[in-house]
Amino acid sequence: MKTGTTSKALGLALTASIALLSAACSSKEKTPEATGPVTLIVNGQPPASAAEDRQNFDDDVKAFETKYPNINIEPREGFMDPKTFPAKLAGGQLEDVFYVYFTDPAGLIARRQVMDVSTYLKDYPTLADIRPDLLKVFSDSAGKVYGVPTANYSMGLLYNRKLFTQAGLDPNSPPKTWDDVRAAAKKISTLGNGVVGYGDYSKSNTGGWHFTQWMYSLGGDVAAKDGDTWKAAFNNDQGKQVLQYLHDMRFTDNSMGSRQLLEWADLLTMMGAGKLGMYLAAPDNVPLLVKQFKGTYADYGLAPAPGGIATLGGGEGYMFKPGLSEAKVRAGLTWIAWKYNNPDRSDEKNQKAKAADSPVGLPEPMIWTGSSAQKVKDSAVKFANVPVENYQSFAQAAGTIQVKVEPPNAQQIYAVLDNVMQAVLTKQDANFDALLKSAETQVNTILASVK
Amino acid sequence: MTIAGARTLVSARDIGKGRGRAIYLIVLIATMVLFSLAFIFPLYWMVIGAFKDSAELSQPTPTLVPEQWHPETYRTAWQTMQIAHFFLVTLGYAAGAWLFQIIFDVGVAYALSKLRPMFGNVVLALILATLMVPSAAMLVPNYLAVVDVPLLHINLINTPFAIWLPAVANAFNIYLLKRFFDQIPNDLLDSAAIDGAGRARALWHVVLPISRPVLAVVSIFAIIGVWKDFLWPLLVEPDPSKNTISTALSRLGTEVPREELMAGLVFASIPMIVIFLVFQRSILNGLTAGGIKG
Amino acid sequence: MRHDTREGKAGSHTMAAVLTGSAAELTETLASPGRPRGRSRRQRTIADNLAAYLFMAGGIACFAAFSWYPIVRGIFLSFQQTNFVTDPEWVGFANFQAIFADPLFWTAWRNSLYFTVLALIFGYAVPFVAAVLLNELRHFTGFLRVTVYLPVMLPPIVSVLLWQYFYDPGPGLFNSVLRGLGMPTSEWIQSTDTAMISLVLVSTWANMGASTIIYLAGLQAISGELYEAAELDGAGLWRRIRHVTIPQMRFLLVVMLLLQIIATMQVFIEPYRLTGGGPENATVTVLLLIYRYAFVTNYDFGLATAMSVLLFVVLAAFSAIYLRLTRRAD
Repeated sequence: MKTGTTSKALGLALTASIALLSAACSSKEKTPEATGPVTLIVNGQPPASAAEDRQNFDDDVKAFETKYPNINIEPREGFMDPKTFPAKLAGGQLEDVFYVYFTDPAGLIARRQVMDVSTYLKDYPTLADIRPDLLKVFSDSAGKVYGVPTANYSMGLLYNRKLFTQAGLDPNSPPKTWDDVRAAAKKISTLGNGVVGYGDYSKSNTGGWHFTQWMYSLGGDVAAKDGDTWKAAFNNDQGKQVLQYLHDMRFTDNSMGSRQLLEWADLLTMMGAGKLGMYLAAPDNVPLLVKQFKGTYADYGLAPAPGGIATLGGGEGYMFKPGLSEAKVRAGLTWIAWKYNNPDRSDEKNQKAKAADSPVGLPEPMIWTGSSAQKVKDSAVKFANVPVENYQSFAQAAGTIQVKVEPPNAQQIYAVLDNVMQAVLTKQDANFDALLKSAETQVNTILASVK
Repeated sequence: MTIAGARTLVSARDIGKGRGRAIYLIVLIATMVLFSLAFIFPLYWMVIGAFKDSAELSQPTPTLVPEQWHPETYRTAWQTMQIAHFFLVTLGYAAGAWLFQIIFDVGVAYALSKLRPMFGNVVLALILATLMVPSAAMLVPNYLAVVDVPLLHINLINTPFAIWLPAVANAFNIYLLKRFFDQIPNDLLDSAAIDGAGRARALWHVVLPISRPVLAVVSIFAIIGVWKDFLWPLLVEPDPSKNTISTALSRLGTEVPREELMAGLVFASIPMIVIFLVFQRSILNGLTAGGIKG
Repeated sequence: MRHDTREGKAGSHTMAAVLTGSAAELTETLASPGRPRGRSRRQRTIADNLAAYLFMAGGIACFAAFSWYPIVRGIFLSFQQTNFVTDPEWVGFANFQAIFADPLFWTAWRNSLYFTVLALIFGYAVPFVAAVLLNELRHFTGFLRVTVYLPVMLPPIVSVLLWQYFYDPGPGLFNSVLRGLGMPTSEWIQSTDTAMISLVLVSTWANMGASTIIYLAGLQAISGELYEAAELDGAGLWRRIRHVTIPQMRFLLVVMLLLQIIATMQVFIEPYRLTGGGPENATVTVLLLIYRYAFVTNYDFGLATAMSVLLFVVLAAFSAIYLRLTRRAD
């Protein structure tokens, strides 16, 4: 199968010969950086329509190349698009270092579509302070690491402070339990004018995604390991509780609005238009609301996930194309460590961000522990330009609330749970037991194939 | 349109007089209203949407007339999303795809229809069979064929040929052309042959002039096809400056406010509508059997 | 005034006849490949054949490289497991077994068939009726034709946003109108009972323009004398339609039916954008499942191409049977 092997082989040969040449000519000292001129193709470049982000990225590229003259960065626009990824990979057109969401590494590693970079990581001290639970996302069961996280988020309760005030609620003491949420939603939905108290998803796998969040917040799980195998873990009292809350808010209180079958962009739209009281979201939604939907920072607040027990975490990072030379891997790690995971550059970044009216001071991402974490936090405090107090409860809880990752084969499980969410939100007489039982059977089949 | 005196289901006489005329007028007006509501309303909504601001646009109940007019959105969109540049780029792709399709597909249709070589029916069947293959699953194999063209082993990524050449493989257009050519009386071609015209000359001087209507149809489908497609150009023209307008909008649209995206979509739709308006006379007049004589 | 030139006459019923006569040709072609049907008495020499293939060279090359070759490759993929990095592994019928074992397999086929049947009931007749109507109107015809075709040219995202609003059970347009008229409202895409029909409505609206225009062409070719004669015989409006219009259009109707079935079995956009396959898998179609296999849940092109091969076989078999049955039409 001539799937671009010619061009790949050529590329490899070229880099290998350059590395050999420069190795022969350079000094004995082996620095963690590339040992010869290397061209590194990376993506993650913001599109031209995000003018400031794009400018910052391009400036960073120039600064990096000045600092590391042996590395030439060839940036490509775009992030992770599952529609184009397989084609690019098959055709040899995939970037050397490419962006992923936390949901991607497990599948990529299982299908052997990424490169093991464990042996090189120890040469990058800045990456040592990364939270181990986040590194685990990019590792396989044997502990080999295939990529690096660059941002994380965990879900909390995003609420509209203005609507809270209008409904007679105190925006500074957001709901702590799901009962509180229900009561608040009821009050907010009485404001009329199309305002909805609480909103949730039920389409395109986002329903299942949020059902998982519900389960975690009640201290439950969607999938749990039973000895050597994974089993569905939601057909129980907690699962029923979730459905009961949703049903009550939707049909008894009528605080969720009549329009269902919602997905990601829909709740953002509603919140941005000031028509939504609360929904489950991560801090990264806030700048989106302001940027794309012209909201104002002062209007939004973040509370920890109701229940305060656990929450679903996600994030982004970068992984490596299979078959890269050592020089390219090192170049890639150097790039990531300098551009994304660099606590020493926090001040510089935050200053630029503040000048460009980008938010500084949101409680997440926070991928660090130890001294790096302190450096980043201090810098954020110095340059904060968002109402940090709006997110205080969230930030405080972030230390204690347990962050759990997605279940294995998450997308397939979410598709099944989507149906449960849809049923409970569109059918007043939905049978919880039947729904959970049927979903359990399907999810167990899906989990059976997990190694 | 029919000429006075030409007869359709209902005669002109029936419509001309009293009660028939009244019914006709009622039906006409009802149709106008229904069609306007059903088909023009979305276009209107798109144009108006770009005049609104984000908050108003996000209302679950859209407003018919913007509360506040923001015409500057159109100008911002034009500049931020580099509409002019992408218009030119897309025009280039569309023009090339159109030219290649006209040349190659006419050649195939003419040969299958008039020259009738051996195994012509096999070729036609193979061509028509491609209509039954879903393109979603063919995305990777199609892409691989462009990255590494079989036998030639060249990479067409980021060249216009990655759009032009696969466009030629359009079974529907070939089928239309062939059917049309089939109906051209062979005596026309025979008399041309007697006059000493070879196959190529017969095509150029006899077949093509008569075929203006179907050529217009095929042209429309070819151009609009390239204009609307966004996933394929995203794959094969990844260089941002080489995107088509639809791809560019889907790429840039995530970073700009909703109303700007609307404005961009309006801009993207205008050329298609213009092309259709310009061509519709010859298509439809041609489709309607060239019956207008005056 | 242009006078009736020979050229004009030749071009004059050509397009319409193209489409009315197409069924016969399609039948002949696909039901009996390889049998040369020559109209002329000339003997086919090798030179003739070579010349013909020369005309076809460019087109056939493009088909070969960018259509047939990928299809063959796709068929290979359906018998392989590949991660696009290492060499693919031949797995025989494992992919096919896997998709047959998928609980959604039969749901998807059932839903696609259901959609096709509904689309034929609602969406097959509508363009024809619209074309008949447009053919009779003598004013503003250009305007009406353009409006019918407009939805075809609209960017999909605009239609999606609009129809989501139309179908919102609360403040949405349709239910608001129904309430205003005192009629019962519907859950539209949010109910398993009405979701599919709601999608058919959207699909009809989006695609009828193309069919309407093709039918218009066919109607124009019907000789006015037939109507005159029918009227002289005392036939009223409906009898004229039943005895003149429909028989004259028969070939076109037969062919468009087949083309529509082939197209609607591949429905994807409406379920993908409006319902995501829900509620409760009520609108998961074969194409949606293929898309999910490839890009959403499995990232497995082996499964996706296996399902595509199945779809192709089903459609090809159906077309063959259909054409054989309608061969003696007219």
